Amino acid sequence: MSYSNTRLVPPYHRSSSAVAIRAVSSYEADVEAILWETLQELAPPVRDKAVLIKPNFVEPDMEGTINTHPVVIRAAREAFLRLGASSVVVAEGPGHERDTEGILEVLRLKDFLGPLERCFVDLNTDDVSQVSTRTQASKLKSLYLPKTVLGAEFVVSMPKMKTHHWVGVTLALKNMFGIVPGNCYGWPKNVLHWAGISKSILDINSTVRPDFAIVDGIVGMEGNGPIQGRPKASGVLVAGDDPVAVDATCARIMGLVPERIDYLKRAALLLGNMEEERINQLGESVVSTRQPFDILPAFQSLRA
Amino acid sequence: MSASTDSYRILLQERDIHTLHHNIFADLILHSQNSDGGWGYRQGLHSTVEPTAWSILALLAIEGPSGTAISSACEWLHRMQTDKGAWPTSSGKDEGCWVTALACLALANSPRPSNDAIIRGTEWLCDTWPAEGDLLWRLRHRRQQKSETVVHQDHSLRGWGWTPDTASWVEPTAYVMILLQSLAPEIRPPQAARRLQLGEKMLYDRACPGGGWNAGNPLVYGVAGAPRIGPTAWALLALRHNPTHSTVSEGLQWLEQNYQSPRSPASLALTQLCLKVYGRATRSIETELDGFYRNNQFLQSIPVVAWASLALTDLPCWLNNSPPAKDAI
Repeated sequence: MSYSNTRLVPPYHRSSSAVAIRAVSSYEADVEAILWETLQELAPPVRDKAVLIKPNFVEPDMEGTINTHPVVIRAAREAFLRLGASSVVVAEGPGHERDTEGILEVLRLKDFLGPLERCFVDLNTDDVSQVSTRTQASKLKSLYLPKTVLGAEFVVSMPKMKTHHWVGVTLALKNMFGIVPGNCYGWPKNVLHWAGISKSILDINSTVRPDFAIVDGIVGMEGNGPIQGRPKASGVLVAGDDPVAVDATCARIMGLVPERIDYLKRAALLLGNMEEERINQLGESVVSTRQPFDILPAFQSLRA
Repeated sequence: MSASTDSYRILLQERDIHTLHHNIFADLILHSQNSDGGWGYRQGLHSTVEPTAWSILALLAIEGPSGTAISSACEWLHRMQTDKGAWPTSSGKDEGCWVTALACLALANSPRPSNDAIIRGTEWLCDTWPAEGDLLWRLRHRRQQKSETVVHQDHSLRGWGWTPDTASWVEPTAYVMILLQSLAPEIRPPQAARRLQLGEKMLYDRACPGGGWNAGNPLVYGVAGAPRIGPTAWALLALRHNPTHSTVSEGLQWLEQNYQSPRSPASLALTQLCLKVYGRATRSIETELDGFYRNNQFLQSIPVVAWASLALTDLPCWLNNSPPAKDAI
């Protein structure tokens, strides 16, 4: 169970992490085959487990640069089922928009996944339980979290590769803001901003640490992300068994230094590996896929 | 197929879609009520304040004040009120928040309103300030500057937040304004007039360039944010007493443009409600709502079913009232 098994392991007790980078030219490519091949190689332990995929759905987006693309979500769901998962549910609590169905309609999620009542849960309106955060970095100390998330046995964070105007980048760790329910905390979940975004990212991920991450970087967002930036066709999928290692790898692909990203630095202390030498890199190399993202002036210091 | 879908199909077979659709939604609401009197966000979930409040308001609009469903729901709401007068989102929590406005609105329109509960709730709302914008906050942020350069808005114009000790946002501000505007003067807190004035100014300040509202950040790094149906409809409903204000006109114009191609039942229902309040041209939306329901069952959302019901009935009195007395605004 992802919640009760949350691991807080200092670096000296931690084994290396596996991260795969795959070149994917567009959403018209055979994403399903590429992701299946990748997951076979990474072999996430999902047999007989209830898998929860947490995509990044923020608000309706006609251009397809804000939200995780449904092609990638469908491919991940199919792959986890082929690997023996007992069930795969897609669950998200959009951060800016109460009208979740409106977002899903623009995404045409039903066309990709089938009837939504069987496979999608709106985390903003789920039943909740109060849990103490495993770390106490922010002033939050405890959070109400959706029972669907707390009951999942294997949590997969599936963000879009984007810049972020408050913390530099938003990837697998920041994506977990979406499990915090809007009905308790609002739209946006402003309490997390007031508690400190970087510290809140650590507290949320220490409490529900994603077991796996798949980043949709086929088309990401640069500049004034995570909503008002420009599309960035970086042409990659990045997947791995350690959300910190996946985020660090994505930052390097984006032309940034992960050690300079505040929340990644914090997460690397307890949640996963950031150093390149502790990441077993599969597939393409960081160098061959690197495509520096434009970032706001406030974050120029993050540049490699 | 879900239980709610089955219920809907059976109910629909028995009735004429064009004339009785709102009754079907009322039946869906009634079938989803929990044994404790409240409603969850979806059938089978624990009772929470928001869906309970909307269900009460929808049933009142459709069926009138009779019925045990409404009285048991009001009793559940009363049990949920904290010692401080506010409402938390659900049982087991003790911190009041944004749903307080909706609970008060439902109780104020119930058959036997408890003025004491409503007064304590509205006093809590009027005594609760968002964390941004006071003198200390402005001094601190003048030094840091960052927030000022990222989001360009007047932080001294304070409305209401979703949760205590956070910033003002459009929707919770609109909910409280709609509540305060609907209350009889004798139960409106003395601070209500000032808070309504500030809330109104805040909504004007947070309007998106070109019309409409989003959650409450119209400009980020100088880039205009996209308006959204929900916040726009609620802001317009809160500002309905100023129909000639240019910001209201622009918002209405934006809403009318989007009325032609609604993406969801929530956006269609809220737009319909809003345009009716402003006396703008509307169309029959029963068939469209039926199509949305058959598509995704409204994601089984009780508030969306309630909004759809409200959109199909005559305007409720809490949206049809005269402007507050001059001393109130």
